[in-house]
Amino acid sequence: MGNFLVWVMWIFAAFACLGSGVAVVSFSNPFYSALALIGNLGSLAVLYLLLSAEFVAAAQVLVYAGAVMVMFLFVIAYLGGEADAPWAGGPTWQSFAAALAAGALLVEVIVVIGLKAGGRLSHQAHVTRSFGSPAAIGRLFLTDHLLAFEVTSIVLLVAAVGGVVLGAHARRVDWGSAARREEDALWR
Amino acid sequence: MALAMLGPEVSWYLGVAAFLFATGAFGVLIRRSPLIVLLSLEIMLNGGNLALIAFSRHYGHGDGQIFAISVMAVAASEVVVGLGLIVAMSRKRIALDVDKLNVLRG
Amino acid sequence: MIWGAWLCLVSPLAAAALITLGGNRLSRRGAGYLATFATFVAFVGAVISFATLLSHDGGDRSHVSTAWTWIGAGSYHSGFSILVDPLSVMMMLIVSGVGSLIVGYSIGYMDGDDEERRYFAYMALFVFSMLLLVQGGNLVLLLAGWGMVGLSSYLLIGFWHERPSAVAAAKKAFVMNAIGDATMALALFLLIQKTGSLDFGDVFARQGFLGGWAINLIALGLLGGAVAKSAQLPLQTWLPDAMEGPTPVSALIHAATMVTAGVYLIVRTHPIFEQAPKIEDLAAGLGAATLLMAGLIALVQTDIKRVIAYSTMSQIGYMFLGAGLGAYANGMFHLMTHAFFKALLFMAAGIVIHALAGEQDIRKMGGLGKLMPFTRWCFLIGSLALVGIFPFAGFFSKDSILAAAMDRGWYGYVLWAAGLAGTLLTGLYTFRMYFVVFGGDRSAFVREHFHHGEGHGEGPFSMTATVAILAALALVGGWIQWAPLWHPVTTWLDPVARPIVEPANWMEWTSSGVALALGLVGILLARAFYGVPVRRRRPVPRVAAVQRALEHKLYFDEAYDLAFYRPAVAVAHALGRFLERPLILRTSGEVAEGSVDVARGFSRLQTGLVRTYALAIASSLAVIAVVFVAVR
Repeated sequence: MGNFLVWVMWIFAAFACLGSGVAVVSFSNPFYSALALIGNLGSLAVLYLLLSAEFVAAAQVLVYAGAVMVMFLFVIAYLGGEADAPWAGGPTWQSFAAALAAGALLVEVIVVIGLKAGGRLSHQAHVTRSFGSPAAIGRLFLTDHLLAFEVTSIVLLVAAVGGVVLGAHARRVDWGSAARREEDALWR
Repeated sequence: MALAMLGPEVSWYLGVAAFLFATGAFGVLIRRSPLIVLLSLEIMLNGGNLALIAFSRHYGHGDGQIFAISVMAVAASEVVVGLGLIVAMSRKRIALDVDKLNVLRG
Repeated sequence: MIWGAWLCLVSPLAAAALITLGGNRLSRRGAGYLATFATFVAFVGAVISFATLLSHDGGDRSHVSTAWTWIGAGSYHSGFSILVDPLSVMMMLIVSGVGSLIVGYSIGYMDGDDEERRYFAYMALFVFSMLLLVQGGNLVLLLAGWGMVGLSSYLLIGFWHERPSAVAAAKKAFVMNAIGDATMALALFLLIQKTGSLDFGDVFARQGFLGGWAINLIALGLLGGAVAKSAQLPLQTWLPDAMEGPTPVSALIHAATMVTAGVYLIVRTHPIFEQAPKIEDLAAGLGAATLLMAGLIALVQTDIKRVIAYSTMSQIGYMFLGAGLGAYANGMFHLMTHAFFKALLFMAAGIVIHALAGEQDIRKMGGLGKLMPFTRWCFLIGSLALVGIFPFAGFFSKDSILAAAMDRGWYGYVLWAAGLAGTLLTGLYTFRMYFVVFGGDRSAFVREHFHHGEGHGEGPFSMTATVAILAALALVGGWIQWAPLWHPVTTWLDPVARPIVEPANWMEWTSSGVALALGLVGILLARAFYGVPVRRRRPVPRVAAVQRALEHKLYFDEAYDLAFYRPAVAVAHALGRFLERPLILRTSGEVAEGSVDVARGFSRLQTGLVRTYALAIASSLAVIAVVFVAVR
């Protein structure tokens, strides 16, 4: 019974994932694309749950779908979301080449994994209940992968600074006579 | 108590991940608005994340999940900077169309 | 002794280097003093070498001193060696002695010129080159000095390089000298091939074994070089043009020293020439022909320096005559006396030119005798020496050459007659020049433009003093050797260049007498036509065609232009049109355009669009993945 449920969940989540992925690429309105991406992220969270990665699933929903996509939506709202009709004018040589490249990548990834894995992919390890729990993740972060933890925090810091700098208005300092007299008065 | 995995094997998840990656690549190559390109890029990253998590479950180590969390953090930072660029571009009245941004043309 | 010779050689080179490196730090006068001093030091070195050679007895008077091995190629070795023997010491004394006088004279002559330092550097370089030529211990060094004197001559003729005529004259001199250099080089190649060495001792020892045609070719090549350097027929056209240079240059290079290098060469390599008697006869014949031709042309020249230049050409013809006949000592003796009186004539002419602010046309001059008595007497001494009047220097040297001609059979008598005719001509043209310039009343030009030298006297002290010394030498220098009575010069040169003709005493007296008589006849004729004031002058009888031919220098320049210059220019133009433009220029143009096209094609890859680049990345990734999988 449990297996059957898992299968059903998987089918729903996988199709939702794939469908929303295609939708993101296909919609002309960027707003709709962003919403499709949110759906994609949600279905991915479900798939993570099925893979016993609870913490990652929660982080996905909170951080990715919650923060990052909201930021996307804010920017799209700010920019006005000009429609960009991707399929207008018929298929160009670029779309053919793109389809070809993407298709080639897909095929290759599958083939390579199939070739290299042999039959080993059919046996999964057995894991404890605490496999994907926050405690396990936290322990790993602070012992085996401490460097990754610290470096990631630096990356986030850099991104924060970059965001502030990119978004700041350039402050024009006026050294005209009125401003100067004001400045002098401050120093008296 | 060790549990076996229910549902499809890991290889199915890998298939989904591959498909997501290819879709995202297709989107990057085909769309003109930089915003949508960024979105497609997110899809590619997520495809990679899914593959990582799947393998982590397959081997029973948590390393893949750690990696996936780091990827998520990096993806978030990249989105911040990317969107900052796009906002700055639109403030300078530059057209948001990758086909028009060809100053590096040689 | 050897260090004296090295001092002689190195001192002018050091001066040239110092003047060049000193640049503006050295004053212009200072450069002149330095050059004169260095040349005088060279003279002292030569005197020391002379004295020490004297202290050795006759057979032991040839010393070679090698500084280092210059060329070592397989079995051929050539050292940087100098040869000190009677012949080279004689030349060293003449070159450095007369040279120091002339360089001293230049201090006054070139005073005020903007580029005086360059002038003195070139003069010092020339003296060094000439000394290298005469002191060289092997033919390689001789050739090196040969080329360098040609270079110095070019530099000095074209000294006033803003004048196109001077530049053209310099080029002409250099090119004609280069022809001689080429024939000489060919002769040297043949010598190396046949004898394996170019050292004088080795060559002369081995050259007896050479076959007839080889030795004739070698002698011919050497003669070619001598003819070019000494401006004899047929390579004589550069010498009159060389008068474009400053007068001291004409005095030193084109009268006293460089042009006599050809004579020195023949005397030095006389063993080779003695093995090729036909070439020796050719040399004598060319000398005789030149002396007649130059004498005739000098009769119609109107530029004072050109008259003296043709006179030089003619006198060198006498020296070639002497050397070609085998009377080496006589030829060298005439070289020495000629250096004295020809330099004297040029320098006195220089004083005149200076006083007339650069005018050189004798038709504008006249009556300078009363205005410049000192110069006039010096010029007179020089002219009398040139014509060969007793007791002046030329008498002793020229007549003994003519006497030697009598000892050579019927060919010798032909040359003798030519030489005597030349004496008549010499008297004529020399005194034509003297009477026109110094005799009679002052011409209009002179009245307007004549100005005295600064302060006292007719010119600066450096000019007048050196001219006086040379006048004294021209007066008494000949007494060193009076062939029938005493002949120290011949004895001195005997170990190196034994003459192969021995004229009897009666031949000497006869030649002297006839030559003297003819010279006096020439002087009297000149006096008859030119020795009277202008308005009373009788017109000179002349044949129009001959006059024109002589004024055009017997059309040699035109002939060479037609024979050599025009065809060369035509070939050059043809090559340019048919070879260079279509083949070479077009090809390089095509190559350039082709590479531009390729580059342009490649630049189309740089679209500047992110999408294209992303596509490229994705496709490459796909391809590489396939390759990796397939290979693994």
